[in-house]
Amino acid sequence: MNAVQTFKLTKEFDGLVAVNGIDLEIKKGELFSLLGPNGAGKTTTIRMLCCLLKPTRGTASILGYDVAKTPFAVKKLIGVSPQDTILSERLNCWENMALIGKVHGLSSNEVRKRSQELLETMGLMERAKDQVRKFSGGMKRRLSITMALVSDPQVLFLDEPTLGLDPQARRTIWEYIAGLKGKKTVLLTTHYMEEADFLSDRIGIIDEGRVVALGTSQELKTNLFGMRNMVVSTESLTAEVIADLHSKYSRVAVTKGQLKISHKDLDFKEIVNHLHSRGVTVYSAALEQPTLEDVFIEITGKKLRD
Amino acid sequence: MKFWEIGKRNLKEIYRNPVLLGFLLGMPVAFMLVFVAAAGGGQAGPIALSIADEDGSQKSSLFVQYLGIVGAIELNEPIYSEKSQAQEDLENGRISFYLFIPSGFEQAQQTQQTINLELVYMAADPMIGLQLKPMIEAAGSEFLGVAPLLNVELKGTESRIKNMAVNFYFPGIAVYGLMILISTAAGIIAGDREKGFLSRMFTTPARPWDFILGYSLPFIPVLIVSTLIYLGVGMALGLTIVGNLGYAFLIFFLIGLCAIGIGMIVGSLVKSESQAGVAWIFIVPMAMISGAWFTVDRMPSALKSVAGALPFIHGIDASRAVINGSPFSAIILDIYWLIGWAVVLFAVGIALFRRTMVS
Ligand SMILES: Nc1ncnc2c1ncn2[C@@H]1O[C@H](COP(=O)(O)OP(=O)(O)O)[C@@H](O)[C@H]1O
Ligand SMILES: [Mg+2]
Repeated sequence: MNAVQTFKLTKEFDGLVAVNGIDLEIKKGELFSLLGPNGAGKTTTIRMLCCLLKPTRGTASILGYDVAKTPFAVKKLIGVSPQDTILSERLNCWENMALIGKVHGLSSNEVRKRSQELLETMGLMERAKDQVRKFSGGMKRRLSITMALVSDPQVLFLDEPTLGLDPQARRTIWEYIAGLKGKKTVLLTTHYMEEADFLSDRIGIIDEGRVVALGTSQELKTNLFGMRNMVVSTESLTAEVIADLHSKYSRVAVTKGQLKISHKDLDFKEIVNHLHSRGVTVYSAALEQPTLEDVFIEITGKKLRD
Repeated sequence: MKFWEIGKRNLKEIYRNPVLLGFLLGMPVAFMLVFVAAAGGGQAGPIALSIADEDGSQKSSLFVQYLGIVGAIELNEPIYSEKSQAQEDLENGRISFYLFIPSGFEQAQQTQQTINLELVYMAADPMIGLQLKPMIEAAGSEFLGVAPLLNVELKGTESRIKNMAVNFYFPGIAVYGLMILISTAAGIIAGDREKGFLSRMFTTPARPWDFILGYSLPFIPVLIVSTLIYLGVGMALGLTIVGNLGYAFLIFFLIGLCAIGIGMIVGSLVKSESQAGVAWIFIVPMAMISGAWFTVDRMPSALKSVAGALPFIHGIDASRAVINGSPFSAIILDIYWLIGWAVVLFAVGIALFRRTMVS
């Protein structure tokens, strides 16, 4: 049985198709990322899986329980960190944790033990007795994620867990999430490709409500498209040469003294020879592995972020 | 016990918020002071004449009917047949004054002897007696013809009621004050919905009733404390409760529960704290037709039946009855009515709330 299984999962809002027939299979213990730009339908997907939104069409189940038919069975199994950090502002960390833990049916003792562990790992112990309205954005987010874990859920949903955080806070959260690998099933959404790249076992690239590509980071970058990048340090590039390159290769980008060419099954030698024959000086040239950003651009023709 | 955890959270969110807490508890005090100051010793209720007719003859009842026709006088029902009953009601503040027709009225009229009537009034409020005496004498002369002579004797009597105005207005003010819980309770649910807190909680196994009970719970202490404040400040301002204080408390408590129940319904229907302002669309008309602000005796009968179906008029009537010393049996129906309403309101609240848990 899969931890998360969806079949043609669809959500429409007054004619706007936010999620358009998504099929997902996430295995137990897998860390799966939905990577996509703003408005792609990530949050809507998560909200359907958490029983907050009724699918317009299609089905979804968590560990075999249908989200529309048996929401309370599903809710017992999941932990959710919503996209917006939502805490009880006048409660302290312990109290926020206890609220979620106890509505999940944990005893006071269990809640205390779990909270102690989690607050320590997340570095919140020092301020654990302060009302959280005085916390910084990063601390709130860490607590919000911690709250999703207090009930020791089998399936964890993290909607943009590091949205708007500084690099250091992001690092802390990444390390924690990476530590969950293999122990918990995690479905994470993000529009940061580094995040998906760094954390995930598998990635689903989502755009305009559809999963447009699915696989491990490596599969997406290499096998699936065979797309490769080449970066060339040059001088004396003429407009004519550039136009010529554009006509031959999928993507050509020129920045100061640097030429970046992306193409399927790109031939390193051929390009270097071609440039030489046109009288272009090549200082250095290197092959570069494509990023998920490249994958996204290749599939959708758009950038992940502007 | 999930509701208990949600309730505890809500209680903390309220009592750790000094502004909100100040509003919830300060309002009853401010309210009583303003209302009493505004009503300040003014005319307490309708000027209506009660009659104790010990003569019980055809002549005396015709005379009573005749008094009823006089424009400035309105008769209170029922007519007492014994003076002692009227006297008791006067002392307990249920009536402000009465006209006593002693036995021998008809005989005195037939034998053309002087007729002596007594106008007994509350000593604290002598003006009414002075106003009424000439009216009754004039009406009597017209009714009886030139002779015999009619003599109305004015008799002040001590009442237990210290301040008729406070006693008359108190139930309405307290009930209206408790009705404001509708808007506060609805506002807190709607605020949590708007901030997304409810959405987050909806991903946990908590059920609709856990939320409704959890959101009502923090208002119970608020309700108890504000009822005590209403009673306390009321008494400090001259409220006299002749009946059982415990009954009065029970009635206000039930009224408060109904208000919280309506708040749960409104909170389940609106999406944001500002939308929760629609609660006032319920509060103000309900307060008006329930007699919180003015007497509803002359209200059209259709409105009266609407008001009678709603819980609040029962609270006002019952608390007025308790204040005037009526026994428990006189308010039991009102209490059943209030309990029934509370049960229905909470059931409807849960049903409506359930619908908001998934969209
Ligand atoms: N409650 C809603 N009502 C109407 N449209 C919505 C609602 N929620 C989301 N949408 C729309 O659905 C699309 C997907 O949104 P969302 O799932 O939030 O995207 P993401 O999380 O990937 O940024 C967007 O166009 C958004 O405007
Ligand atoms: Mg989102």
